[in-house]
Amino acid sequence: MKTLLKIAWRNIWRNPKRSLVMIFAIIIGLWAGIFVSSLMFGLLQARFETSIEQQFSHIQIHHPEFIKDRHLKYGIDKWESLSRVLASDPTVKAFSGRTMAHGMLASASLTRGVNIIGIEPEAEALTTRLDGNIVEGSYFEEGGRNPILVGRALAEKTKLQERSRLVLTFQNLDGELVAASFRVAGIFQTANSMLDEMNVYVLQSDLNGYVGQELVINEIAMLAHDLDRLNEIRDTYLASYPELTIRTWAELSPELSFIQELGQTMLLVILIIILFALAFGLVNTMLMSVYERIHELGMLMAVGMNRRRVFGMIMFETAFLTFLGAFGGMILGVISNMITGRTGLDLAVVGGDSLNDFGYPSMVYPTLGTHFYFILTGLVIIMVFITAIFPAVKALRLKPAEAVRKE
Amino acid sequence: MTIIKTEKLTKVYDDNSLPVRALNNVNLEFEQGEFTAIVGPSGSGKTTFLNMIGGLDKPTEGKITISNTEITRLSDSKLIDFRLHNIGFVFQSYNLLPVLTAKENVSFIMLLQNADPKHMEARAMELLKQVGLEDKVDVRPSRLSGGQQQRVAVARALASRPKFILADEPTANLDTESAFNLLDIMLRLNKEENITLIFSTHDQRVIDRASRVITLVDGAVSKDWPCSIHSDKI
Repeated sequence: MKTLLKIAWRNIWRNPKRSLVMIFAIIIGLWAGIFVSSLMFGLLQARFETSIEQQFSHIQIHHPEFIKDRHLKYGIDKWESLSRVLASDPTVKAFSGRTMAHGMLASASLTRGVNIIGIEPEAEALTTRLDGNIVEGSYFEEGGRNPILVGRALAEKTKLQERSRLVLTFQNLDGELVAASFRVAGIFQTANSMLDEMNVYVLQSDLNGYVGQELVINEIAMLAHDLDRLNEIRDTYLASYPELTIRTWAELSPELSFIQELGQTMLLVILIIILFALAFGLVNTMLMSVYERIHELGMLMAVGMNRRRVFGMIMFETAFLTFLGAFGGMILGVISNMITGRTGLDLAVVGGDSLNDFGYPSMVYPTLGTHFYFILTGLVIIMVFITAIFPAVKALRLKPAEAVRKE
Repeated sequence: MTIIKTEKLTKVYDDNSLPVRALNNVNLEFEQGEFTAIVGPSGSGKTTFLNMIGGLDKPTEGKITISNTEITRLSDSKLIDFRLHNIGFVFQSYNLLPVLTAKENVSFIMLLQNADPKHMEARAMELLKQVGLEDKVDVRPSRLSGGQQQRVAVARALASRPKFILADEPTANLDTESAFNLLDIMLRLNKEENITLIFSTHDQRVIDRASRVITLVDGAVSKDWPCSIHSDKI
């Protein structure tokens, strides 16, 4: 085995230029595969994180009727007791109770339909980090009557600025239209411009003042410490509050879960295509190597080298070429991921803010899970076996008597 | 003692539209310690005969028995194993592995036999000394002359302790001095260690040293006569 490995290693360097071209092709191919995968994975991860962070949280709790008809009147009756339980639950990282109303926003120049979300600023900041998305003005820090936060996309369309006045019109609990004047305290921008255009945030106390009841909570958004225990947490609360609808992010947004799974499958497919293309090059290189050595292979078989050893030698040569390339490609991939994972890649340079329109952030931090490198190693090993078979079979089919006489 | 016996050995190449009878009813016996030169014009069947008794090719008809083993009945894998342990080969164009040193080339055959590594090293050194290349053990073939490469090939052929050595025109690519040098070595091995040698050749220098000369013409034995003039040329 040791000598066979030594022969195989030396054989690949008999034509160093050809071997180096193949090795570099594998390095570049795998690096490209890793980089594209990391970029896509980073994009999907960012989409997932921003969706969880800014839209769904880990778990949401609603009155079952609120899901069918998003009307203010479908509040969570046991909010007070439930909030106490949530506050004392060690599995819960943060939660925010929201008052939700549909209404019209009227600025001096335009009128638009919006979701009016009444929040308790501190709880919301802990749950969705909304305070971190303020790009102009402040996060309910200045006093004053009826402050409101609007998204940048909405502000641009309705020509609103910090301190601009606007009027919100919505139905109260009695079904009567209520109009109230608000002043823009801050403008926020998230990675999802659609949400920025749809949602406005007001103080829960202000909104409830117009609703006609002391406190209505239509939605509780909750963050858990452990993402893997969401189903368990949901089931625990469902057991205690069977009258409420409690759903995890995967149930709230099945497409988000689907995109995650589809993304991973796509990355695997991309890598398999790259490896498949490289395999052709490798087969070609190994076939050339076998055809150049027909004389020598004939001699080896003539003097008594059995088929298993001939096959092994070709296999080792293929493995050396592939593993050198794969190792180089992976190292390069890890290094480029380390650099771009820290600095990030601003895709706005090439596509403007168009990614935001689909809920993806422009700044992407390429990343790739360790398990992906294991999968890649497995695929490379499979590639070695598949690509070695064709040239090895060619070698095994040689007739020693004819091969030793070939010039 | 007879170590090789061929009976009605016939080989017909039928690859083309016109079948070619390369060997036709060849009946021969080779004794232990003989140095036989197989001669004949090109296309007479010398190499085919060597390929048959070397187990590199199978006859169309007839049988070959080597030391009581009928090799014509062996499967391909058993034939490879048989060659490894019983037959040494020396080829016209040396056929050394270019990536291995002289010593590694000689050891390689023993490695295929799964010999003890310590024993392999010592035997390779001993064989290279026998062929006068003790100072070239760590040199790769590309840095050896043709004559030196062929001597390494002889050492390699001897490494497996074969029952006989087949050499297909071993001196064809060598200059006179290298050819004489090689022949002297092989004659000495034949004489001192009773190694059976079968050469196919056109080279009169080989024929002059052989103890038996067989002439093949059109795949059949035309002449088979003993020749003992070589003993005084060692």
